[in-house]
Amino acid sequence: MNTTTGTSKTASAANTTSLASSKTIKQIGETVWKNRTVKINAELFTLTYGSIVSQLCQDYQRDFKKVNDQLFSMGYNIGIRLIEDFLARTAIPRCDNFVTTSEVISKCAFKIFLNITPHVTNWSNTKNSFSLIFDENPLSDFVELPMDASKELWYSNILCGVLKGALEMVQLDCEVYFVSDVLRGNTQTELRVKLNKVLKDEMPAGED
Amino acid sequence: MSSSNPQRNPVVDTPEQIERRRIVEQFLLFQESLPKVNALSYQWLLNEMVPMSMAVENNLSQLDENSSVSSQSVEPTSDEINEEIHKLSLNKLEYVPSHKLIAQLCHASDEVKEKVTERLYKIGSGIGSKMTELLIFSNNPNLSFNSMDTLGMVRFICKEVWKLLYGKQIDNLKTNHRGVFYLFDYEFQPIQNFALDDDEEKLLSTVSPYIQVPLGVISGILTSLGVPEDDILVSFTYVDIPEDKKKPVGQFPKGLNFNIQVNQFQNNQD
Repeated sequence: MNTTTGTSKTASAANTTSLASSKTIKQIGETVWKNRTVKINAELFTLTYGSIVSQLCQDYQRDFKKVNDQLFSMGYNIGIRLIEDFLARTAIPRCDNFVTTSEVISKCAFKIFLNITPHVTNWSNTKNSFSLIFDENPLSDFVELPMDASKELWYSNILCGVLKGALEMVQLDCEVYFVSDVLRGNTQTELRVKLNKVLKDEMPAGED
Repeated sequence: MSSSNPQRNPVVDTPEQIERRRIVEQFLLFQESLPKVNALSYQWLLNEMVPMSMAVENNLSQLDENSSVSSQSVEPTSDEINEEIHKLSLNKLEYVPSHKLIAQLCHASDEVKEKVTERLYKIGSGIGSKMTELLIFSNNPNLSFNSMDTLGMVRFICKEVWKLLYGKQIDNLKTNHRGVFYLFDYEFQPIQNFALDDDEEKLLSTVSPYIQVPLGVISGILTSLGVPEDDILVSFTYVDIPEDKKKPVGQFPKGLNFNIQVNQFQNNQD
């Protein structure tokens, strides 16, 4: 089955200027969100995701580890297609380093798709892993977890999958996982992105 | 409608009308100010439910197999090895890309199809019942849930629910006033981008699971508005798109006819 999104793969390839500053990145994100995005009510999004998670909990008989896994692979499947749309929409060139990547994720990608801008922080010394801190999260607004779920369930785990899938498609092999979540009673929601390696072999011919 | 209408000067509005317009405008402004997300993200979420539902089905049947195998051949030699196997086989779900899942679903047995369909329907009805709450508390001045009859509920689905979910209203509503309703949507948004080369029959059967979610939504809404679940029967058929609704390109080849049957209606009639 084909899902044609009406986007072009080559839009970003032509644009070779580097991303000068994080301000530009922020501007791109805001412009696309403001002018080139069809929007829907965030509450509808929240309740739809909630229905999915609750059905999964029921299907896996409250084995929350499996629910986490299922949400992750659901996200992965979305991520590997989302990246194409993202690149076409923003025409963002290749990121020079992982720091730029993190800025693009937070200020562009999250801005455009969920209208939030999580903070980038907690860089490792080698600059190959960082954390995203979510002050707001449209997936889990007004959500409260039952006692048994609050120990094991990563409610918004779909986000990890989406990031993993999307990054893999731009040759970044990463580990993406939640460290803490306010839904579990933690003080903040923290998502960790750790770069394993930059994949070399999958460069499409003629792109260089 | 009222007989006093022709006598009134049409240019000057009554204070009630002005007040009402003010309320409606205020409502629209408020709706505009509510938090928003990208409609694309929502679209992906909606459509990814179908392959996900198939993946769940695969995983559940695999878990069943695993548990029966391991109960037969457990060797109590080393707990560690057992634990290792347990971790490998039970706690890590196998990843399968969505296009493969959809293909699997398309060729699955009727039993599996039914289970997947039911899962999607349940998610849909969960969405539906929560949407009712959302819309009731939205303070929409055009909506009144007091003394809403079945027709009123279906109208509510056609207009408010469809607009919120899919950004457009139902194109046409037909009813026999005996509890049977046909809702026609000639451009059901989530499936518009789907295409298979030259095989319409296969396309329609592949897309069918995607329609389960809205069916669930409809039943969820009706149930949450007080219609007993057992009295509701919803189904759908593909219909031809009328000439005036046809677009030259990029349109799904068929329209949808959602069929709602409410049994209780007949009893209440007299």
